Amino acid sequence: MNTITPVTRPPDLYGRPRSDSFMQKLAALSDHAVTRLARRTTPHTPPRRPPATEMPVIRELVVAAKHQEAEDVVSLRLAAPDGAILPPWQPGAHIELHLPSGRKRQYSLCGDPADRYRYRIAVRRIANGQGGSAEVHDALTDSMRVAVTGPRNAFPFAAEASILFIAGGIGITPILPMAREAARRGLDWRLVHTGRSRASMPFAAELAELAAAAPSRVSIRPDDEFSAPETADLLNLSPAEGAVYCCGPAPMIDGVRRAFGDSRASALHFERFAPPPITDGRPFELQLGGTGRVLPVPHDRSALDVLHEALPDLPFSCRQGFCGTCQVRVAQGHVDHRDRRLTATERAAGAMLPCVSRAPEGQRLVLEV
Amino acid sequence: MFRAAHAHRESPPEPIDHHDLVLRPRDVTFHWSATPLHWLPGEPFATHTIDVLHLMLPELERWFVRTFEQALPLITDDRLREDVRGFIGQEAMHAEAHQEVLEHLLTKGLDPAPYTLQSEWIFRRVLGDRPELTLAAAHAHLLQRLALIAAFEHFTAYMGHWILSNEHLDQAGADPAMLDLFRWHGAEEVEHRSVAFDLLVHLDPRYRRRVVGMLVTAPALTRLWIRGVRFLMAADPELDDRIKVRFRDYLAATRKDLLPPPGAFTRSVLRYFRPGYHPTQEGSTQLAVAYLAASPAARAAAQ
Repeated sequence: MNTITPVTRPPDLYGRPRSDSFMQKLAALSDHAVTRLARRTTPHTPPRRPPATEMPVIRELVVAAKHQEAEDVVSLRLAAPDGAILPPWQPGAHIELHLPSGRKRQYSLCGDPADRYRYRIAVRRIANGQGGSAEVHDALTDSMRVAVTGPRNAFPFAAEASILFIAGGIGITPILPMAREAARRGLDWRLVHTGRSRASMPFAAELAELAAAAPSRVSIRPDDEFSAPETADLLNLSPAEGAVYCCGPAPMIDGVRRAFGDSRASALHFERFAPPPITDGRPFELQLGGTGRVLPVPHDRSALDVLHEALPDLPFSCRQGFCGTCQVRVAQGHVDHRDRRLTATERAAGAMLPCVSRAPEGQRLVLEV
Repeated sequence: MFRAAHAHRESPPEPIDHHDLVLRPRDVTFHWSATPLHWLPGEPFATHTIDVLHLMLPELERWFVRTFEQALPLITDDRLREDVRGFIGQEAMHAEAHQEVLEHLLTKGLDPAPYTLQSEWIFRRVLGDRPELTLAAAHAHLLQRLALIAAFEHFTAYMGHWILSNEHLDQAGADPAMLDLFRWHGAEEVEHRSVAFDLLVHLDPRYRRRVVGMLVTAPALTRLWIRGVRFLMAADPELDDRIKVRFRDYLAATRKDLLPPPGAFTRSVLRYFRPGYHPTQEGSTQLAVAYLAASPAARAAAQ
């Protein structure tokens, strides 16, 4: 698909033995425009507008308050150091925290979108995690500065007329502002919050406040009181033709997605996460061109991540092996293809999608770049 | 069919528009074995008028992808770069989805090749790279093509919004898979409707640049569309070859709300010429976001 085949002037649409006059006119117009460009002697670069986002993409915020919200859950309120107004956001939005260790973690905003001076996030400590949540818990303290990008929204709220919110544990964070928005708009909504125990479930007081204003809309279901709920039972709470918004641990989202087809609901919203971690990866090497640099690819990184560092302008998009944008050509070496896009012919011709595909341990792929 | 999103018409406080959406391609799959050639039953003219998109889009969108890939290194705004990456992946998936419909048309006895060969030639040769140009001229050529793409994207966002908010296609018994393809596609067009415009303005903010883009795109697209309808009506094995394509067939279809009405369509094109135009003023993402959660294909996509 990315290879440009030389194309000759196409035949007439109806197979008549003459060249198509409209095609000729289009070509003449385009050739004329190109000839005029080529005659330009002075290189002319148009003025470039300053970046479309008026505010910097990475900003420094300061931890204005840190609260214990539940067992293992802290919330942080973040503000601009000079108290300036922050970019607006809508329910479902997240920010990315650049932690002092260099780790980057995305957290949903769980405060009030109308508060333009502070963002609130909440983080559960993951005992066997990769250290990001522990760092937020242990290393980030009051009045410390932290770099942030966003907000951006990968879980947008569409305010359907009837809605069921399903939140598992810390998954309440994006749901809380959505439920408030649903209440504000007078929609027909229900919210279920599940978790291990009441003590582990954050924002109980705020949910109680919502429940007080909207009787019978909020149900809190700790497993130690109600036994762990079946996904189908949760979905049964959805009104007919309603929309479901689900956020929680991956097994919960998978369960809801599987059971969704048999439910009465008509739409399912869940957060679309970044690519899943690499499974069964072995270290190998990439070589840029026949005599170029050799880049080691560790077991836990994709070939694309490594290539992208060396060639920042390399196109890519889905990073999951289906859109085909990052396609490169392999001159030499055996590729372990893991994509869902390339045809056998394309693979035989040396095509590879480095976002997911790899090479056997210790081997080297020579790329034509 | 798609009541969830239409339901808010009864109790709308204010529509929601999302300007900070993370754009990601969706790994959709469609199955065409149950789809008839005339997927709007008894409406071959309206079917083929919409079907022209299958003929044009695969090559058109691959051209978007190639052109945007060339623009990628010139972008100095991190957020716009992220948006352009998302746009490229979404367009690549659109191209493949429509390509599969072309194979379906062939199995139904309609050979789309004469038209798609012309599409290929237009988007690869006529609007493709010109190796003879110097670096500066090649840059200007890139800007010209980005202006065409920004204008095209105005149409796709208009049509996306139209098909998302249209209930008459459901009532006319449209094939569910085909409607899902066009609504999924339309929803992603609405989702990313600002990207091509923002990219053009980022690289060349001059009013003249974008206006020229629309002045070339609007008449060329109209002409290509009419040719496409004539071609499909003639190539359709289920129709009499002597059928003439007339403007009043189009008007009749718009009266049934099976095609976008000429007045609203023209006014939308004229809005592109307003100096303060921005794609976010056209339509809203609320319907798009609601549909992407309801679309069978988008919901089934792995991520």
